[in-house]
Amino acid sequence: MALLDYMQAKKLLDRYGIRSADSAYVSSADAAAKFAKGRKIALKLVSDKALHKSKAGLVKLDLENDAAVTKAYDELVGLGKKLKPYKILAQNMAGAGVEIIIGGNTDKQFGKVLLVGLGGIYVETFKDVQMRLCPITKMDAKEMLDGLESRKVVTYDGRSENEVADLLMKVSKLLTENAKIAELDLNPVIVRPGSYDVVDIRILE
Amino acid sequence: MMKPRSVAIIGASRDPAKVGNVILQNYIGAGYEGKLYPVNPNADEILGRKAYKTVLEIKDTIDLAVIAIPAPLVPKVLEQCGKAKVRSAVVVSGGFAEVGETELQEKITEIAKKYKIAMIGPNCLGVMDTRSKVDTLFLPMKKISRPKVGYVSFVSQSGAVGSTVLDVIAGEGFGLSKFVSYGNAAYLDETDILEYLMNDEETKVIVVYLEGIKRGKEFVELARKITKVKPVVVLKAGRTEAGTAAAHSHTAALAGNYAVQEAIFKQFGFTVASDLSELIYYAKIFASEVKPKGNRVAVITNGGGAGVVAADEIASSRYLKMAELSAGTKKSLRKVMPALVNMTDPLDLAGDADSRRYGDALNALGADPNIDMLMVIVLYQTPGADPAVTHEIVQKKITLNKPLLVVSVGTEYTHKQTRLLEDKNVPVYDSPISAVDALEALFEYAEYKSRH
Repeated sequence: MALLDYMQAKKLLDRYGIRSADSAYVSSADAAAKFAKGRKIALKLVSDKALHKSKAGLVKLDLENDAAVTKAYDELVGLGKKLKPYKILAQNMAGAGVEIIIGGNTDKQFGKVLLVGLGGIYVETFKDVQMRLCPITKMDAKEMLDGLESRKVVTYDGRSENEVADLLMKVSKLLTENAKIAELDLNPVIVRPGSYDVVDIRILE
Repeated sequence: MMKPRSVAIIGASRDPAKVGNVILQNYIGAGYEGKLYPVNPNADEILGRKAYKTVLEIKDTIDLAVIAIPAPLVPKVLEQCGKAKVRSAVVVSGGFAEVGETELQEKITEIAKKYKIAMIGPNCLGVMDTRSKVDTLFLPMKKISRPKVGYVSFVSQSGAVGSTVLDVIAGEGFGLSKFVSYGNAAYLDETDILEYLMNDEETKVIVVYLEGIKRGKEFVELARKITKVKPVVVLKAGRTEAGTAAAHSHTAALAGNYAVQEAIFKQFGFTVASDLSELIYYAKIFASEVKPKGNRVAVITNGGGAGVVAADEIASSRYLKMAELSAGTKKSLRKVMPALVNMTDPLDLAGDADSRRYGDALNALGADPNIDMLMVIVLYQTPGADPAVTHEIVQKKITLNKPLLVVSVGTEYTHKQTRLLEDKNVPVYDSPISAVDALEALFEYAEYKSRH
């Protein structure tokens, strides 16, 4: 299995109308600062040799000014020496919200499976997830969210419930129509009232 | 297979210690009315019946052959069945894929396919139909009671779990329609059997014990359809799966095959039981066959404490809530109830409640549009709770168009009463907690059906 390039993965999400944080590869600290245009950004080192970016210190968050961006960029280049080949991804920081995970997997017996749960660092601690076979219906999407122990945290109002249910339908469609995707992690997806942003994407083919 | 006019028992034996002898005895004992043909090359007569050397010697057409002979001899005998145009077969014999003899199993599967013999097994208990009195089980009747005639059908891959559950069902009032233990599923598997039961008019509730699913895609297609027709209660086998540790993503680590099976059950409206007692609780409430229109529960009790426990359990459940009695109900109850009875839910009829008070309460709450389900707690230890109360509940249940169950705890006297209730299709639970689980499962299934 191979990890799909981040920007290619992002383009694939774009095609299905799935919003993800504005992102670009940058090859210098200046380019990163230019990408930021005064916005708060994150820098991430992307390498096949590092599967868990945040655990390895390869994610620099909340970079507010050019000085912070330059410092972070240089640190990543330092860390990257052992992880060649690598790329550095600049990403607009999504606002605060609830972190959820949306995932996809291929069961050898039953086919594509869609998963949703409380995300970020909580995924493996609480394992509060719901799964369904693809393709799902809108009703399935709502039942998935309703089935979570953390449902009141994940979807605090009707608007965000609808928004996330629609998102689940879109991911289900993506999984169903792209047979070669073996595994998919959208983690975290940051959910805010009536809106969301996919912040990290991992697609394995 | 379920309604055979003629059955050949291959491996029927004169020796009471042999499986073939037990099966034949069971057929005779159960009062099977079709034709019985014992087959044994070394006997002329078994249990007073003429024995045939091979199935080919029998002039009659054979609808079902029960095969209980050593595994290596099965291919030859099955071939003979094919030539004799036997329509279905239950291969009770073990000694196939379960002990590594996969080639032998493939051989008999090929023979079954070639001659279009609907084959169950090998390595199974086989089938039972309480109506046609087909009973291929090699379990002596004196050791395991046979359930009464009912509308619940039970499917089990495992013979051991199958016979245990069967014995428990025999002690319940709701009875059984059909039982299938399919063992190694060499030819007919769980999907085939469930499809048959989905279309079977004598089956209104399906209970299934699954260890694995053989044909994933086909099973999913069936799962989509089956719960739209009738409720399916599934008892899941223990988690045996390892090996998700090496997964590449969070999702893959969380979505092992076992977890996916659970997700499928949820997605397609199966009721999942986590142990044998839950399985019976659910089967029982579904067997009572009344669908709830909503999630509001009223509790009638002759014990204040038990009522409070039930109310707490309902209030803290995921989907149910306590009903509010309508103004009309309160008014009509006030006229007939003594002053010490408060017009609330739970409706505490007090420790001296008798059949009249229960009857009045059931009339009023049964007609109340604010109430969708009724839980009737009867503590038979009190002086007023007597067989007349039992009778009253049975009578009211007949005309009631909402689900009703009884909660009753006790020993000898209570058991006598609860047995009477269950025989009249009133489900009885021994705790408010299991009763609430059952009502919740009933409500969830009704919701699933109304949405899909």
